[in-house]
Amino acid sequence: MDATPRGLKILTWITVGLFALASYAVLVYAPREAVMGDVQRVFYFHVAAGWVGALAFLVAVIVGIAYLITKQRRWDTVGLASIEIGVVFTLINIVTGSVWARPIWNTWWTWDPRLVTATVMELVYVAYLMLRQGIDDPDRRARFGAVYAIIGFLSVPLTFLSIRIFRTIHPVVIGSNDPGAEGTFDMTAKMFQAFMFSLVTFTFIYATLLWHRIRLQHLADRVEQEKVRLLAG
Amino acid sequence: MLLQTAPADTTSYMLIGFALIFGTIGLYVLSLYVRSRNLKKDLAVLAEVEPRREGG
Repeated sequence: MDATPRGLKILTWITVGLFALASYAVLVYAPREAVMGDVQRVFYFHVAAGWVGALAFLVAVIVGIAYLITKQRRWDTVGLASIEIGVVFTLINIVTGSVWARPIWNTWWTWDPRLVTATVMELVYVAYLMLRQGIDDPDRRARFGAVYAIIGFLSVPLTFLSIRIFRTIHPVVIGSNDPGAEGTFDMTAKMFQAFMFSLVTFTFIYATLLWHRIRLQHLADRVEQEKVRLLAG
Repeated sequence: MLLQTAPADTTSYMLIGFALIFGTIGLYVLSLYVRSRNLKKDLAVLAEVEPRREGG
């Protein structure tokens, strides 16, 4: 593979710096929440990870449409990379939510609409990664990936809206809560700054990982082409 | 939380949460590195095999 581009190196170091600063912001700068205590600090990265998951799946839709129009394989590469990252960050979102819920809701897991829809969304995209592996023809695989990413995205707005349209105990960060919500809190100015900074930082993490993952896929494609060429020759 | 005067002691859960966040991101970055290294090795092997085949 070609040497790492200068732009990617710079982006990687900026992201590492931002991540260090964001960790400081949520662990030290933001005040301890008056009722929940330290576990509330998980909230900043919990929401930011959920944001990255949704963004990654949205990008997969956009590049899926681009592939269906242009038939250029590079869009499929971006879609695969984006969904893989989305699955990782949605997993972080679900697991950290469970850790937060243990002391606040007194349970690791409950069949709340938000938890169920988020888990279904995660499974939809895990299935995407697994099903892709079963298709040998690259063009068919790319076409399948594009259509699946578009249809699978229905699970994302459903997850986002689940705490707004169903009766739920999950707190709503922006907008009004269900009266039955448990673990709600009012953000102070410092909390809000740490929250917004976490969102920006995780967006940088997504962009950096996406670039690295796309390069990895190019390398994988090159190895595959070399193998085919050797076998054919 | 009725009559609560101080924040609940939930530090251990916070530590578990952040360990999972840093651990998962770290593992994913490691997986990218390992996959890249393995593919580079594959490319090197393929490059070695080709001249041998051409040489007969």
